[in-house]
Amino acid sequence: MSANRWLATGNFFTSYREEQRIFFTHLDRLVFVAVLVLLFAWPLFFELSNKYMLVVNHTLIAVVAVMGLNIVTGYAGLISIGHAAFVGVGAYTVAGLATTLGDSHKLITHAWPLMIVLSGGMGALFGAFVGLPALRLKHLYLAIATLSFQMIFEWVIHFMGFFNQGQTIYIGRVHWLTGEVGRSSHYVFWYYASLVVVVITGFGIRNLMRTRFGRCLIAVRDNDRAADAMGMHPGLTKVYAFALAGFMAGLAGALHAYLYRGVGIESFTLHHSITYLAMAIVGGLGTLHGAFWGPAAIEFLDIQVEHLSAWAAQIFPAQGNLATALRPFSFGLVIVLFLMFEPRGIANWWRIARSYVKLWPFRY
Amino acid sequence: MHPLIISDVTLTFGGLKALSGVAMRFEPGTITSIIGPNGAGKTSLLNCISGFYHPDQGDIHYGDQRLTDAAPHQVAKMGIARAFQNLELFRGMTVLDNLLLARHSKLKYNLLQAVVFIGKAARVEAENRRTVEEVIDFMELEPYRKNTVGTLSYGIQKRVEVARALTMEPQVLLLDEPMAGMNIEEKEDMVRFVMDIQKERNATIILVEHDLGVVMDISDRIHVLDFGEMIGSGTPAEVARNPKVIEAYIGKE
Ligand SMILES: Nc1ncnc2c1ncn2[C@@H]1O[C@H](COP(=O)(O)OP(=O)(O)OP(=O)(O)O)[C@@H](O)[C@H]1O
Ligand SMILES: [Mg+2]
Repeated sequence: MSANRWLATGNFFTSYREEQRIFFTHLDRLVFVAVLVLLFAWPLFFELSNKYMLVVNHTLIAVVAVMGLNIVTGYAGLISIGHAAFVGVGAYTVAGLATTLGDSHKLITHAWPLMIVLSGGMGALFGAFVGLPALRLKHLYLAIATLSFQMIFEWVIHFMGFFNQGQTIYIGRVHWLTGEVGRSSHYVFWYYASLVVVVITGFGIRNLMRTRFGRCLIAVRDNDRAADAMGMHPGLTKVYAFALAGFMAGLAGALHAYLYRGVGIESFTLHHSITYLAMAIVGGLGTLHGAFWGPAAIEFLDIQVEHLSAWAAQIFPAQGNLATALRPFSFGLVIVLFLMFEPRGIANWWRIARSYVKLWPFRY
Repeated sequence: MHPLIISDVTLTFGGLKALSGVAMRFEPGTITSIIGPNGAGKTSLLNCISGFYHPDQGDIHYGDQRLTDAAPHQVAKMGIARAFQNLELFRGMTVLDNLLLARHSKLKYNLLQAVVFIGKAARVEAENRRTVEEVIDFMELEPYRKNTVGTLSYGIQKRVEVARALTMEPQVLLLDEPMAGMNIEEKEDMVRFVMDIQKERNATIILVEHDLGVVMDISDRIHVLDFGEMIGSGTPAEVARNPKVIEAYIGKE
């Protein structure tokens, strides 16, 4: 590669190893590292109110979940209308153990990283199971299978005393090197924990996509006859996509359980599944960073709508709770607008901005 | 290397007999052509070999492996690759990505190694890339390496289709009308590629082609199908003398 690794222009690869790089120029790497440092450092200098810290954490957890949804729906092209249920599987893995062992059992309070991974595993297991119809069914039929899982999941949780009929199951406070994580540091602690999960899984997925385990997902999406002829089992590849998505959802579920220190069915309903889909679409299906833009944009929208309705309520006091009406409306509007005008999502704006920088100093 | 043997294969669609009692043998390292008028069942036969269709009767063997009920991905793993008549490329991907995909089952690393990437997966992928580049050189696709397949001309897409099958390093290569719809120059190139594949890569080639000039030139053996039935087979000279074949192609006086 040429001496100047700051610009993409005029850079040619001289080995296949070089082409494998995640960051092609120093500038890319610098921007990435700067963002990462910023993400890790800001809580040291700046204190956010618990309310907003919760929003931030919630967004990060959504990022983990949407990265998973993006694998199955974005890369593999299989619509999943039950993603929240898989997140629920993760959360209820922690909750189920809390019920059997007691909510402050060492396994839950001390071995929480293990619990998070275990929840991911459970998510993967359920994902693979729900994905099994992919061996026979296609497209919409498969989507219906995921919807059925959502329904069955909600029903089972409501039905079973073991899961407290969907009422909140409490999770104890976790321990860290410095002892119990108390009320004051709870949100910052889970901010870092979620961030670490996001970074690790983000790199993991980025790596996966440049190997055969990632390429096969896109292959079955684009042409599953050809994929078959290339030696991939189209059905099993789809099952595997569901398992990966389930794994990510499971991680998100466990993080959710710990963040809220409780698990209740109201966080894992069909409404949430649709929200995850909206996040994936608005962010940009089939791109890794779309999974970051989407949740951020939707959460931001949510806050704005809340502000707006609070403000409107002062002017028209008789209208009752406007937020309940405005939320689904604004939400639906944004999805429709994106599907109509930017089906490739916010990630596409990023791509355009980048290709401009890439050609610098030449303008097309 | 083994011969590929088709014995008494019959395939029906509803009432239509696409193939009836077809028996053929393909010797290792040779070019064998299958010819016949439109709708004769040539593509159906390739579909039976490559696992997309399963014959109602009869058997297909490659060495001691039975292909009759195998799925396409299983057939692919046995070293039998195929280029489709109607392009079945990954149109939204680059030429390079199309070829990388073809090496799916040759890459030996596991999921965990893929997620970590550094180490085994990186090494195998770099090696993989080298193999793909060899095929790109061989098929003279260098200028199009990073082009999206859907934007390329028909002739080049056909060539990518063959290149992709070749990337699988097959022992047997099924080519379904690789020269159809090409201009003379492109056709010449493709003929050269097919002959080079046989010689340099030592593959068994099964070629379906309408251009009789080309077929007579390059085939070691020819099988002729008409309405799903074998009406002749032999060396090009034998087939050209076969009255049934002449009748099928030129019609009765
Ligand atoms: N999936 C299918 N369903 C129903 N009929 C089929 C199917 N596939 C092929 N056929 C029929 O089988 C017969 C043989 O078709 P095939 O495609 O094998 O012919 P071919 O020799 O490849 O012709 P061409 O030279 O036009 O490519 C045709 O009559 C065709 O209509
Ligand atoms: Mg045909």
